[in-house]
Amino acid sequence: MIQTVVYGLTIGAILYFFSVGLALTFGTMHIINFAHGMVYTLGVYLFITFLQGVGQSFLLALAASLLAMLPVAWVIERFVIRRLYGESLDYAIIATYGVLLIGTDAIKMIWGTTPYPVNDPVGIAVPLAGMDLPVYRIAVVLSAFALYGALRAFFRRSLVGRVVTAALEDADGVRCLGIDVDRHFSIVFVLGSALAVLGGVLYAPISTADPYMGFHILLLAFAVVIVGGMGNLNGTFFAALALGMVMAVTGRFWSQAANAMVFVVMALVILLRPKEAH
Amino acid sequence: MTFMPERAAFSVQPAARGALLREIALLAAGLLLLALVIRVHWMADFAVFFILVLSFDLLYGYMGHLSFGHMLYFGAGAYGAALWLVYGNASAWAALAVGLAAAAGMAALLGGVVLRTRGASFALINMAFNEIGHFLVQSPLAAYTLGEDGLSCTADPLFGAISLYEDRWAFAFCGAVLLAVYALLRLLTRSPFGLLVRSIRENESRVRFLGYDTFRFKWIAFVIASTIAALAGGLFTLVQGFVSPRVISPFGNVDVIFAVLIGGAGSLAGALIGAAAFLAIKNFLPVIIPELSRLLDVKLPQWELWLGVVLLLIVFSLRGGIVGTVQARLRNRKPAGEAQ
Amino acid sequence: MLEVARLEAGYGSARVLHDVSLTVAPGEMVFVVGRNGAGKTTLLRTIAGLLPSAAGEIRFEGRSVAGLAPEKRARLGFRYVNQEKRVFSPLSVRSNIELAAHGAGEPFDSAWRRAVALYPKLDEFRELPAGRLSGGQREILLIARALAGQPRLLLIDEPTEGLAAIVIEDIFRILERMRQSVAAIIVEQNLAIVRRLADRIYVMKEGRVVHEIADPRKIAGAEPLECFL
Repeated sequence: MIQTVVYGLTIGAILYFFSVGLALTFGTMHIINFAHGMVYTLGVYLFITFLQGVGQSFLLALAASLLAMLPVAWVIERFVIRRLYGESLDYAIIATYGVLLIGTDAIKMIWGTTPYPVNDPVGIAVPLAGMDLPVYRIAVVLSAFALYGALRAFFRRSLVGRVVTAALEDADGVRCLGIDVDRHFSIVFVLGSALAVLGGVLYAPISTADPYMGFHILLLAFAVVIVGGMGNLNGTFFAALALGMVMAVTGRFWSQAANAMVFVVMALVILLRPKEAH
Repeated sequence: MTFMPERAAFSVQPAARGALLREIALLAAGLLLLALVIRVHWMADFAVFFILVLSFDLLYGYMGHLSFGHMLYFGAGAYGAALWLVYGNASAWAALAVGLAAAAGMAALLGGVVLRTRGASFALINMAFNEIGHFLVQSPLAAYTLGEDGLSCTADPLFGAISLYEDRWAFAFCGAVLLAVYALLRLLTRSPFGLLVRSIRENESRVRFLGYDTFRFKWIAFVIASTIAALAGGLFTLVQGFVSPRVISPFGNVDVIFAVLIGGAGSLAGALIGAAAFLAIKNFLPVIIPELSRLLDVKLPQWELWLGVVLLLIVFSLRGGIVGTVQARLRNRKPAGEAQ
Repeated sequence: MLEVARLEAGYGSARVLHDVSLTVAPGEMVFVVGRNGAGKTTLLRTIAGLLPSAAGEIRFEGRSVAGLAPEKRARLGFRYVNQEKRVFSPLSVRSNIELAAHGAGEPFDSAWRRAVALYPKLDEFRELPAGRLSGGQREILLIARALAGQPRLLLIDEPTEGLAAIVIEDIFRILERMRQSVAAIIVEQNLAIVRRLADRIYVMKEGRVVHEIADPRKIAGAEPLECFL
């Protein structure tokens, strides 16, 4: 059972890394960004390629892929997302889905369609309560907690964070104070994309990389963002961990139902929650 | 409130009736023309897709509700018909009826639930139900549906003589259903009910302030759109003789959304044009691109990438789709030319 | 200082403002009155840059501000105070002022001192989440935010709406102190206040300016002003 809990928290941690960007983009710009899945997948593939190049140094490859993805995220923000500000939701969804398709196809062209396995970088298991828990997974879960703390501090203590917090509630009000809200949103977008890449890289050793991994996690991330409350970062954290647990526990007793159960929970939450404006 | 638009749904004046007959004739002619250009073998599939796209246009184009889970109802119609053929009798009509009833029931039930949300939540909760349906078919109900392997099913010939497994009869039957569906939707969208649905898309609160129970109308439109999608699904089963979880997969929604957008949402003609354009892209691009690659001796990206490019183009420049762009051009040329 | 000429604006295809023209001289306090739905809020929001104008001109100190984003107009000195008394609720009162000071390029301390001078109780509420303030306190916070930096044109939407009489007096005194030091367009339904503070009054009806009262002192009481509505 402990293995399941650790696994659930690990999945939840990865979901959290990925969902932060999605929640932020929706909270700030009211855009559901399907292209987020592409950033994730591309980041992972780049990581794998760099890993083979730098002699298996996990951290170096991670840093390299993050750096490589920053301009990609910037380009997406500048040429697609920014032009979708104020647009109807449908068009934002469709345009970002277009980017996702283009990106996925590019990945298939460059790397092919066979999945890539990645090795556990730590490779040690910790004996605990009579079981061997991979240290790596525990590290991932701890990183998610660290990220949660860091984000809270960022939004509460830093000026940029406070501007974004204010803008999440009243973007026009912030603009009328002379602050360039759009530039702050761009920063937030790139930050969210970097976190997605980080999440993907952290996840890679536990799974394999395939060109459609972005699609799958996107669906789950939607569930996380909806359950946690759109644009509510605290909620995203708890929802991610909770849904990760749902997946792990369901997977233990009925493996094929793991994904579907997440959606059942999402549907229940939507229905039982007091009515919202969106 | 005494105004009951749904009762007035099918009242139509003589002049409008003439226009309707003309449009249907045009559509029939178009289908026949298409059948000449591509093989008749494809036509039934095309007709089925057209019906599906029309149903989605009602939900998204006219009512403005984007759903990522419309395939659930197509799949329900398909599987409903297939299961009937396998476990019930071999009557094609009964199979269709079962598929329609199953989907209508589901839509009535789920509609009451999903229509309480809007925007992003609506799109995603429908997707959730679609995923759940997909999963149900693959796993728990695999005893009946044979899961991933798919279900083979055969139907008796219609009226004892018309076998839907022959290309021309399949085309004729599906084409006829398409014409009927088009006529139905044309009447519906031009009726007071249709106007109301469109007003809900424009400004729902205003319609509610006028005293209408918008929920009821959205629900009715939702059930109609879903049932028509199921009709397409049932036809699919009858014509293919085989269903697999692919028919209920959420990824299929993308095709339908593309088609409606390419053609121009909110216009029945647009939906059909978009569906035709989409099928052209989907079926011929995978053939043309490798050829072009060979000719130019360069590795071109797959058709999916072009689809993505088209989507971006639609959102950023060709907003109204094919129909919208054409209308805009005609409007700009009005002083010199004629009105459309 | 501000010149609005033949302005047309609205929401999407719904046109709300028709052929609206008005002017504000430096230091002048101009009021806009009218029934609900007359387009007063739309007018302020269009001037602030939150809504695009479909036609017409908005000139500030001779230069057109058409197409300028709200933050750019704010840097020119426009300050918009919204009608719903919406503050940055999750942030503290202190942070609300901090953002205003940051946007206006003023050191926080001087902005805070001014805010407290406006309303001493603000000091008590310094770390309180702004969402916990009462309506009147929020309005004062919004005005304090608007006064950060060098405001040249205040655009205040219904400052006393929904407030108790005592609080209205507070707001009145604040507005009175601001007279002549900064130009302002204020939308108000409380005609007593309008009469006591206005340098000029515009009356709006159904999206148009139907009347301009150049000398409000000529009007005897609040009742004759009602006649124009």
